[in-house]
Amino acid sequence: MNDVLVGRALAKRFGQTVALGGVDIAVRAGEAVAIMGPSGSGKSTLLHCLAGIMKPDGGEVHLLGQRIDALGERRRSALRRTRFGFVFQFGQLLPELPAEENVALPLMLGGVPRAQAVRQAREWFGPLGLQSMESRRPGELSGGQAQRVAIARALVSKPAVVFADEPTGALDQQTGQETMRLLVEATKHNGACLIVVTHDPNVAAWCDRTVEVRDGRLLTSGALA
Amino acid sequence: MNLDLTWRLLKGGGRRGLLGAWLTLGAVAVATALLLFAVAANSAFQARAERGAWRNPVPATSGAVAIEASRFDFVRDRAITVVDLAALDGRTPEPPPGLPRFPAPGEVWLSPALAELARELPADQLAERYPAPKGVLGDEALIHPDELVAVVGRQADAPEMTAARSDDWLLGKPPVKVASLAGTPSEDAQAYRMLSLVASVLMAVPLLVFGGAAARLTVARRDQRLAALRLVGATPGQVVGMTVTEAVIVALAGALAGAAAFALAVPLLAGIEMQGGRWFAADLFPGPLVLAGVLVAVPLLVGLSAVAGLRRVVVSPLGVAKRETPPAMRFVRVLALLAVLAVFPMLTRGTSVSIIAAALALAFLCVNLAGPWVVGLIGRITAGTARSPARLLAGRRLVDDPRSAWRTVSGVALTGFVAGFLGLLSPATFDQDAGGPPQLRITAPAGQADQVVRQARERLREAGVTAEVKPVKDVVVAALGSSAGEAEVDRARTALTGLVPGRTPTTKADDGRFGVEILADVRVGTIVVLSVSFLVAIASSGITAMSSVLDRRQTYGLLRLAGTPLSVLDRARRSETLIPLAVMGGGAILVGAFCAMPFMIGGVNATGAITLGACVVAGFAGVIGAGALSRPLLRSVTADPAPRPD
Ligand SMILES: Nc1ncnc2c1ncn2[C@@H]1O[C@H](COP(=O)(O)OP(=O)(O)OP(=O)(O)O)[C@@H](O)[C@H]1O
Ligand SMILES: [Mg+2]
Repeated sequence: MNDVLVGRALAKRFGQTVALGGVDIAVRAGEAVAIMGPSGSGKSTLLHCLAGIMKPDGGEVHLLGQRIDALGERRRSALRRTRFGFVFQFGQLLPELPAEENVALPLMLGGVPRAQAVRQAREWFGPLGLQSMESRRPGELSGGQAQRVAIARALVSKPAVVFADEPTGALDQQTGQETMRLLVEATKHNGACLIVVTHDPNVAAWCDRTVEVRDGRLLTSGALA
Repeated sequence: MNLDLTWRLLKGGGRRGLLGAWLTLGAVAVATALLLFAVAANSAFQARAERGAWRNPVPATSGAVAIEASRFDFVRDRAITVVDLAALDGRTPEPPPGLPRFPAPGEVWLSPALAELARELPADQLAERYPAPKGVLGDEALIHPDELVAVVGRQADAPEMTAARSDDWLLGKPPVKVASLAGTPSEDAQAYRMLSLVASVLMAVPLLVFGGAAARLTVARRDQRLAALRLVGATPGQVVGMTVTEAVIVALAGALAGAAAFALAVPLLAGIEMQGGRWFAADLFPGPLVLAGVLVAVPLLVGLSAVAGLRRVVVSPLGVAKRETPPAMRFVRVLALLAVLAVFPMLTRGTSVSIIAAALALAFLCVNLAGPWVVGLIGRITAGTARSPARLLAGRRLVDDPRSAWRTVSGVALTGFVAGFLGLLSPATFDQDAGGPPQLRITAPAGQADQVVRQARERLREAGVTAEVKPVKDVVVAALGSSAGEAEVDRARTALTGLVPGRTPTTKADDGRFGVEILADVRVGTIVVLSVSFLVAIASSGITAMSSVLDRRQTYGLLRLAGTPLSVLDRARRSETLIPLAVMGGGAILVGAFCAMPFMIGGVNATGAITLGACVVAGFAGVIGAGALSRPLLRSVTADPAPRPD
């Protein structure tokens, strides 16, 4: 029982569309899982349900043995801020904040004093290959650099799980590979689990295992490889 | 030019795109309606001045046909303008405006309001002063519909037309031989026109700024899409053409809606009392040329503003898609303001009003120029010292786009300028006399005081008014009993009518009436100008707050997904407005007060201070309220679990 995040019989529909039709999935400590599948198959919906962004219509989500899908929006929001990290395709960095303040923001939201938060944030720049990018604004970074800043921001508050929805979707092949390597390494280095939604088998190859979604159901058993 | 494509762009913008168009339309409508009001106020005072001109005779240099004189009579607490007219021997002058013929000796014509008052009050209080009226004056003769006017026909050699009168304009105009009754606008009418001109400037400048902000709003909502169009190869000309066409179409619709709204509001506006009465609705309708001018100028201005806003997109296709550190605001902006302010101490109350209005407009525009620079500075300070994430977000946002932050608060800040200016300017109320029993005073012709005293006693006794009449030098004073009410005073006035030809018995209150009226008018004018400014300010801050939420919906949405509490975003948004508001509003009030200093009459007074205080409170409350209105919008755009750039 070292599952960190467990989803049981997750169901979600939008009007007539069944986005999720009963999905079971479990993610172990330190594991990196790729979610693949055709467009519209329900990957993002699954991710949103697991991360407490959306309430599923049926089923349960447990984080470290505690049920989280039934919590109110305020509690789920706090949970996302403290226990989860997020990397989206793009547009998640505040354009007017320098890179280091973007990274420091989750810490400051958690009550860490500004100077300390910025100091902690800066420590991420070297390992992620972002030396001397600290005070640049997102508009002055390349797409790959911006994603690495986003990775730092997702990890800075030591989350239990990092969710990434097509984190390399806006990058070219080579940059995407490099970004993915950094994402997986950094996540594991911090002892967090990683759940990545992707279209790209090369991206998925960086993960420990892959689950396939078709029409709102898992093809391979998500519970265990 | 690309009209079809533009139309599809407008329609295809989706619900949010349309929302932007509606916001612009609403903003332009408000701006147009208020601009029409500012312009109409001017022409309305002009119309009054022109209609009142016939009572302000121009001495004939040759070919005199008539004699004209005027004085003020009083009933209750209102003034009656009495015009005496006499045709010169053997001449048949053209009738004055509003009369079917030149009044024959002994004929009396009353304005409708006076005729009605004469019917309502007992005859011995008013009607007997103007016996057997021949008819009613037409509107062309009246400054406003409530005006009390009496026209009295006389013989050319009647004492009223020959006796010397005082030169004090408060007491009327001495007899003057005139070649026609065209006259010329009186000095006080001119003063009112000048004041209304200044008021128009004070109202119009924030409106223009507001209209510009509205135009930028369309562009801001679209620049993303337009940059994409540029990237796929649309020429700069096409991009500009499409956006400007769109902005102009929306602005034209807004301008028409605004004109309609103004027309509907005219009956209400006509009820605002000035110079002792309401307005003829027709005076408040701007002429067709002015109307056409506004309807052309507003969309044109919005179009130009849109072009200015688009320059960035056109210069570089990546300019908008990729956000970079904005170039720092140039300090020149502040220098411009300081330069204009340096001029003000040189102005005096004697300076011509058009120069003052121009300087005021310049100062106003320069406050608007310096605003973004100061906001940027405030932003740097806020971001540098911020401890909480909300403060940090607010500060960085101010540094990033000081112009848009300024747009949110500029209206209120500029209103602060107006409030500071008027707050210092509005004079203190006159000291009312210490009461006591009413006294009527009338100046007797030189050396006839005793004779006039005797006649006055006689007349008052016949009228049944108890009064003690005695001369004080040339002035005959009739002190009424301490129990005398306004009816008794009017009976005495009626009894004494015509006692001294061309003169009216007056009380102390009568003599102060015009001063009180002017003060009341200044106060009403101040309130009108401030209300208009505040309406603009609050509308513009509400609209910019909404458009800023719409523009940043993706980032806000993703932040919220990552667990940022809505309250932090909201607090950041609030500080983003309130910090510059506090600094700029306060600064603008000081600058406005500084500009008013050369024209101050007496010291700062309670009324001005209270007006100012009320402005500060109303401004803050209005902006906070308008900002709160966009909170549901923030909630709804961030509730979308998967925000997408559209
Ligand atoms: N907010 C929504 N309203 C209505 N339908 C939705 C909504 N979100 C998703 N859907 C539908 O649910 C289904 C699954 O959507 P989802 O976004 O999970 O797909 P996806 O696998 O992430 O696709 P892609 O690879 O294109 O991102 C789709 O049919 C989609 O149309
Ligand atoms: Mg998806």
